Amino acid sequence: MKRKTTRHALLYAGVVLTCAILVFPIYWLVVTALSEPSLLRQLPPSFWPSEPRWGVFGQIMAEKPILLWLGNSALAAIGAVSLSMVVSVLAGYSLSRFRVRGGQSLGLFILTAKMLPATLLVIPLFGIFRNLELIGSLWSIILAHATLIIPFTTWMLKGYFDTIPRELEHAAMVDGCSPLGAMVRVILPVSAPGLAATALYGFVLSWSDYAYARTFLTNAQGNWTANLGITTMKGEYISNWSDISAASILVALPILAIYLVLERYLVGGLTAGAEK
Amino acid sequence: MPRSAFLDLARPSRRHWLGYLLLAPAVLLIALIIVYPLFVSVDLSFQNVNIARLDQPRRPFTTANYERLFASEDFWNACWVTFKLVTIVSFFCFLLGLGTALLVNNRFKGQALARLLVALPWAIPEVIAVVIFAWLFDSSFGLMNWLFIKVGLVDQTINWFSSPDAAFAVVCTVMVWKGYPFVSIMMLAGLQSIPEDFYNAAKVDGARAWQRLIHITIPSLMPVIGVTLVLVMLWVFRDFSIIYVLTGGGPLKATQSLSIMTYEQAFGFFKMGYASAIGVITLIVCVIASRLMIARAPDNI
Repeated sequence: MKRKTTRHALLYAGVVLTCAILVFPIYWLVVTALSEPSLLRQLPPSFWPSEPRWGVFGQIMAEKPILLWLGNSALAAIGAVSLSMVVSVLAGYSLSRFRVRGGQSLGLFILTAKMLPATLLVIPLFGIFRNLELIGSLWSIILAHATLIIPFTTWMLKGYFDTIPRELEHAAMVDGCSPLGAMVRVILPVSAPGLAATALYGFVLSWSDYAYARTFLTNAQGNWTANLGITTMKGEYISNWSDISAASILVALPILAIYLVLERYLVGGLTAGAEK
Repeated sequence: MPRSAFLDLARPSRRHWLGYLLLAPAVLLIALIIVYPLFVSVDLSFQNVNIARLDQPRRPFTTANYERLFASEDFWNACWVTFKLVTIVSFFCFLLGLGTALLVNNRFKGQALARLLVALPWAIPEVIAVVIFAWLFDSSFGLMNWLFIKVGLVDQTINWFSSPDAAFAVVCTVMVWKGYPFVSIMMLAGLQSIPEDFYNAAKVDGARAWQRLIHITIPSLMPVIGVTLVLVMLWVFRDFSIIYVLTGGGPLKATQSLSIMTYEQAFGFFKMGYASAIGVITLIVCVIASRLMIARAPDNI
């Protein structure tokens, strides 16, 4: 009995220590944002500011076009996710339910496309978008992010549709639904949680991008995404770490919120397509 | 029921025009924004172009880009840097990811919270992770310098971003911190699929904790470990944002991976043909790696 208690205590100590170390950088980001800039230049550092300046978030929003950046990121993400979801839902359903000639090689290609480096695609896309005069516009980002998102969402949705019994469509068609009607009226409503998780995952992919925004939007300040804006703040001649940290928290918040919602589905999302 | 006989989704052979129709938009879009650009970039790699303008006539075919590439010291340096990064970061991601997964897989009060916290860095965008660590490793007022001096590891502050080795270490640290949660999440999923009976049987046979780890846990996880390892290695191999924002590839090209070199050549020096050649090499590596993974992945985990 006593051995069990010590083991339990050890386990708890291990868990607390591990979590503390691993989450500390995020804690430090918050502390930095809430500290007066002058306080940050004192050693030894204080691990919690005596007077946290909660107003920093309002202040930074007034000083920098953070809201504009966040809005651009949101627009790009919503555009890219909508476009990707429409084609992925249809394709994922087809790959799950129909035996289509070339379907398997398409699946394999999509799986490989997930592994493409952005630094490879960014060069031809830059040339193509320049011809189309899309450089500097959010459309370039929406299309570029679709190249990241579609391979993920198609596989995730195919996997999700695979888990839904075919008898559902069968029953619907017996009741007089057309094949398309069975999909739209029966399968899609049943898949709502999977569709939502997939869309959120696509949102995370788009929100986290830096390479495409850096390449296509650098000269179009009004269209900067949040990540691009943050890196320009980091590059300023004197880095004001508390302001950058405050802005960073605002940029990370949407993804943190999605993570809290999605945690249960995350495994499905990350492993989708990892297996055949 | 003529309709259901017309399209019976439960039947093994179910070719139908609807299947093709549903695939069409995806195929069209993928062809336009992924396949066509890939062809363009292979095509560019065989031309001597400095700025990518597709409306201009095609330059004559040449293999000069590849010849220059293989003769270039920078390219081999980038290969070496990438190799070091992939090896070191994947190793520590696994150590930390497997360790945290085993830890929070135990039953205890607050397990749900611990699981949430342990994988939290997954939810921090890469650029933000860089901001966090750039400040932690700041040369004048960064916490790490203070801590290292405090515990007596060093006697004076380290200028993390001007020493090649130190900058490389910081890049690795950020990548491990950002990358281990993925391993942790995958391993937890794997751990939960191991039947409880295996452990009970082993306990009856008197196997100790470490024996159970080596003889049951690790072998059962092997398929997941294989897939995860390839995915992590590919992520490190391809990553651009962390290195680019943190060090830009410097100092002295100590952190210039193949991705960074591709980007530098393309958008720093506008040598699009040369950059595409590096890109094509990375593409070949990625395709081989992902094919290996697909071939080895078990049928249904």
